[in-house]
Amino acid sequence: MNSTPTLSLGPATTDRSARLRAALARRTEWRGLALLAVVVVATLSFEPLVFTAYPVTLGRVALIGLVALGLTAVILMGELDLSVASTLAVAGVVMASIPNVALGIVVALCAGLLIGLVNAFFVVKVGINSFIATLGMLFVLRGLAFVLSGEKPVRMADIEAGIAFGAPIIGPITPRVLIFVLVFIGLQIFVTKVRAGREFYAVGGNRQAARDAGIPVSRRLVTGFMLSGFVAALAGVINTMERTAADPTAGSTVLLASIAAAIIGGVALTGGRGSIVGTLVGALSLGIIEVGLTLSGVQVDVQQIFIGGVLLLAVITDPASFRAVVGNARSFLSGRRGETPA
Amino acid sequence: MTADQTTPEAPGPVVIEAESIVKRFGGATAVDDVSIAVRSGEIHGLVGENGAGKSTLMRILAGILTPDQGEVRVDGRPLTGGTRAALDAGIALVHQELSLVPELTTAENIMLGAFPTRLGFTNARQLRGVAATALREIGVSVDLDERVGRLSVALRQFVEIARAVARKPRVLILDEPTATLTPAETDYLLTMLQRLAEGGLAIIYISHRIPEIFRICDRVTVLRDGQLIGTTPIRATTPAALVDQMVGREYKLDLQIRRESTPGEVVLAARGVRAHRVHGVDLDVRAGEIVGLGGLVGAGRTELVRAMIGADIRTAGRVTVTAHGRTRSISSYQSAVRNGVAYVPEERRTDGLALTMSVAENIALPNRRRLATGGVLRRSRVSAFAQRLADSVGLRPPDIRKDAGDYSGGNQQKIVIAKWLGRNPKVIVLDEPTRGVDVGAKAEIHRLIRELADQGTAVLVVSSDLPELLELSDVIHVIRDGRIAGTLSGPEADERSVMSLAAGGGMVGKA
Ligand SMILES: Nc1ncnc2c1ncn2[C@@H]1O[C@H](COP(=O)(O)OP(=O)(O)OP(=O)(O)O)[C@@H](O)[C@H]1O
Ligand SMILES: [Mg+2]
Repeated sequence: MNSTPTLSLGPATTDRSARLRAALARRTEWRGLALLAVVVVATLSFEPLVFTAYPVTLGRVALIGLVALGLTAVILMGELDLSVASTLAVAGVVMASIPNVALGIVVALCAGLLIGLVNAFFVVKVGINSFIATLGMLFVLRGLAFVLSGEKPVRMADIEAGIAFGAPIIGPITPRVLIFVLVFIGLQIFVTKVRAGREFYAVGGNRQAARDAGIPVSRRLVTGFMLSGFVAALAGVINTMERTAADPTAGSTVLLASIAAAIIGGVALTGGRGSIVGTLVGALSLGIIEVGLTLSGVQVDVQQIFIGGVLLLAVITDPASFRAVVGNARSFLSGRRGETPA
Repeated sequence: MTADQTTPEAPGPVVIEAESIVKRFGGATAVDDVSIAVRSGEIHGLVGENGAGKSTLMRILAGILTPDQGEVRVDGRPLTGGTRAALDAGIALVHQELSLVPELTTAENIMLGAFPTRLGFTNARQLRGVAATALREIGVSVDLDERVGRLSVALRQFVEIARAVARKPRVLILDEPTATLTPAETDYLLTMLQRLAEGGLAIIYISHRIPEIFRICDRVTVLRDGQLIGTTPIRATTPAALVDQMVGREYKLDLQIRRESTPGEVVLAARGVRAHRVHGVDLDVRAGEIVGLGGLVGAGRTELVRAMIGADIRTAGRVTVTAHGRTRSISSYQSAVRNGVAYVPEERRTDGLALTMSVAENIALPNRRRLATGGVLRRSRVSAFAQRLADSVGLRPPDIRKDAGDYSGGNQQKIVIAKWLGRNPKVIVLDEPTRGVDVGAKAEIHRLIRELADQGTAVLVVSSDLPELLELSDVIHVIRDGRIAGTLSGPEADERSVMSLAAGGGMVGKA
């Protein structure tokens, strides 16, 4: 036949709309977006105040979301960092204990990096499962925050700086929201465009393949845990600045909320699947729900029931499991029909 | 054919050389004092039974494992420093198991670990460019932006080969690359390898399919139980001699006489089955009958059997299992299993095996009911049962206390087969039952399948291995584009008739 040997294995999609459709089908954020749409519509009709008072909502989203963004980097590699909330508390206390604000911030952020390094040490060098290693760190760091603070809130020396920090800078945008947006952009670029970040997906998706391909898996894990620690410390710094005091109990609800945000946004706990955008979408949904419920006067305990429900709903409606659910239901029904004598 | 087109006596200089390699896992010695040298422009075959140490030796060459003794040299220089150093020295390994990242795109997988960057940022255009060139070089067209998890198994195999080729290697190692390919694709791959070798590449080629070895290799090395049996020029040996060397005894390649089958009533019946890539199939399998499904990879055979037994969603159609005069419809995989259907999936390593559990536990898993008294597993009964099955599929070494994950690729397949064979199912569906299994064990598995049929089990086999399909099946349905393109039985079924139906009546394979 012809001279250039080629092998065709199924049609290559050439036409543009099919290509676009395929590209869209590849995204992992759909279920998060769908949920967000539902949440937005529901809140618009029941509690439009959420959007009128958007600075509050944005602040809440930034609170949940910031830690979740850093955590996503770790989850993408198929690991978990349960120490983020405690890191947040330690960083806050460390910062508030240092009279000079600038120095305090630097030391607190370095503490975050150091904590990430320690986590990575246990996971990479010692070989402990990250769930267990960071669970240990969760307790150690929380205890440390109490010891350092003498078990009570530490007031910042320079309260002026704190008050100035909390004020909006551009329109309603507070520094917290701005930092959140910057971290989002930075991480988004990191995992989509930067080589090391891209390789996070390989580390999480098929670690053996990553190793075999010569990817320095250990170094990537160290980077991931340090990122997560750094971002958590950053959240701690922001908290302290805004409140002009550091509370050793700070961030106790942050851990679960941030894991939930990532999962709602389509990030798989098994690693290798998900995106930073997804986590943003998840954080937006959660933030809006929380603020909406608070404004409607729903008790905090009841809010938790609600958020838990949303999380479960999000997981059930995951495209993969959703197909299975529908399929089971359908074959169940057709099976019933089939068993009636013909 | 013209196997001697290239002058096998005059290949280039030795590129890679391993000397006196020893590798132990715990107490067992997987590779025992093996030396091998491969020249530029040579295709060097590596054969041996399951567990002979082929993959282990190749992992050592590729820097993934460090040998306990011995040395690997590239161009005379010792190679140390793991995967990275081996890659930099130009050694590319295509693994026996697929080694891709499902969530990354085709292009990213091809360039995995070697993303072109500018200031740390991946250069997307260059990345796609190099990937496209590699694909063009092997002559396969794949959507560069498709997630690899959505590609067919055959395409993934070619993506892996493209990845190796993209590295511009000097040594290309392929560990059973044709196990998942159809004859036409295999033929294509072999031609491509010959072309690459002519360009000066040194190639090490592992396969259990002896004809492939004779078609493309210049020399062949035989391993048995981790030991080097010898390296011979291909012209100085014969298939029979090679197999003898592999198994270490005289092995009779006895031609199987077609089984005397007296099929009973219809046990498994499918009517109008539609599903993803399946467009309306009617199919009957009778008690004691072996029905084969032939066709090209991607024709929808796996999809068909999965939809039939409820493992995947059916969009239309009805499937029933009849036993003891009662007809039950299959609505889900659970109901299939409940009604006596056993299924050996294609992706055995991921779907069929608990790698961190022992062989005995794996085999006992689907047979718990009959091995338990009052809900408690009886250890002695479990080990006796597992040992018998492990022996009958020829597990090597036959140690049922070892973890399944510690066995070689082919042996893991035997474990999965063993665990389902133990069930005495009414219906057994096997998807590529002997992929990656060595010659001896293959005959053994065929014998077991026949025995099951003789005992009255309805057997449905999907196989891309034509001789196997022809040898086993009483009836062959050839699937094309999700439909039955034709049905063959008895003397009318041969390689030509199956392939021409599979390819749509047109010409297929090589000229
Ligand atoms: N990680 C491991 N731990 C323990 N034993 C191992 C490990 N990897 C391989 N082995 C053992 O080493 C021996 C050689 O295995 P290897 O995978 O090299 O065989 P192979 O020749 O590639 O076989 P196959 O044809 O089945 O792929 C086997 O007995 C196997 O059980
Ligand atoms: Mg092997």
